Amino acid sequence: MDQRFLNTHLKLLAFDLLSLKPTPSPSSSSSDSTISFSRRGALVSRAETLGTVTSRDHKPSKFLKFTVDDGTGCVTCVLWLNHLTSPYYSRQSPPSVRLMADRAAQFASEVKIGAVARVRGRITGYRGAVQITVSDVVIEKDPNSEILHWLDCLRLARNCYDVVGS
Amino acid sequence: MAIPSIKSGALVTLPELRPSSPFFNQGASLRVTGNAVKLEVRPDRRLQEYTVETAIAIIADGNAILPVDTQHLRDLSFRIGSIYQFIGELLIQPGDKAMLQARVGRNVDGIDLNLYHQSLQLLRQFQADHIKSSST
Repeated sequence: MDQRFLNTHLKLLAFDLLSLKPTPSPSSSSSDSTISFSRRGALVSRAETLGTVTSRDHKPSKFLKFTVDDGTGCVTCVLWLNHLTSPYYSRQSPPSVRLMADRAAQFASEVKIGAVARVRGRITGYRGAVQITVSDVVIEKDPNSEILHWLDCLRLARNCYDVVGS
Repeated sequence: MAIPSIKSGALVTLPELRPSSPFFNQGASLRVTGNAVKLEVRPDRRLQEYTVETAIAIIADGNAILPVDTQHLRDLSFRIGSIYQFIGELLIQPGDKAMLQARVGRNVDGIDLNLYHQSLQLLRQFQADHIKSSST
């Protein structure tokens, strides 16, 4: 399977992102539960979406779950806020974990209903639905940013993502 | 961590929102954009025991207008002449009178409406082509 885009954040419209199919990752071992997704024969694992925040479910010190509506669909995004309590981070250096926690808390404070957010992260699945596990968030102030994102997605799909790899 | 399913607001221009349009359905989730031309305060007749007033923003795009119920948008201040974008559900009243019950709204002063309309056509064509090619 085509792996050109495996480590790239693909700019995808929501309807396109939500139609990705889960596929076992080629790098995963039997003990590794990493799942990739496929799009038109290519493996993808990261994505960028941009749209209006239309819902927000905040569990302090656990997670912020929010939806981003780009006009073609709603993408569920999960921003983890459990860096200081989860054993997953216990092997990393405490200053690094503190920085990650502060960064995530800052993102969470900026994600408000009605804001336009550019979200990057890992494509994951939850109960059969595609979602994004957030790595970073930028709040867009330019009222034309959504239009420019649509045009970016169209151009990249036609000139890059939909071009069959050699 | 279940979250209620949130419907996407389909992108629609005000001139397209006619009774014959496929978007013109009771409860349809839509995203509309227009100039605020009037702000009205109307009594909410659904609550009989209390006097509740609902702010209705009238937005326009060319000759097309749409009233938008903004009672759920507490943090948004309105200025006549500014451009706003709303996401919400369409309420169709007797006589095919439509109103959007907004759940999200924002000021989009500075938006290039010509670019918006042109890009919307490109986006719809791309989506239709993509869905068509995925199903074949």
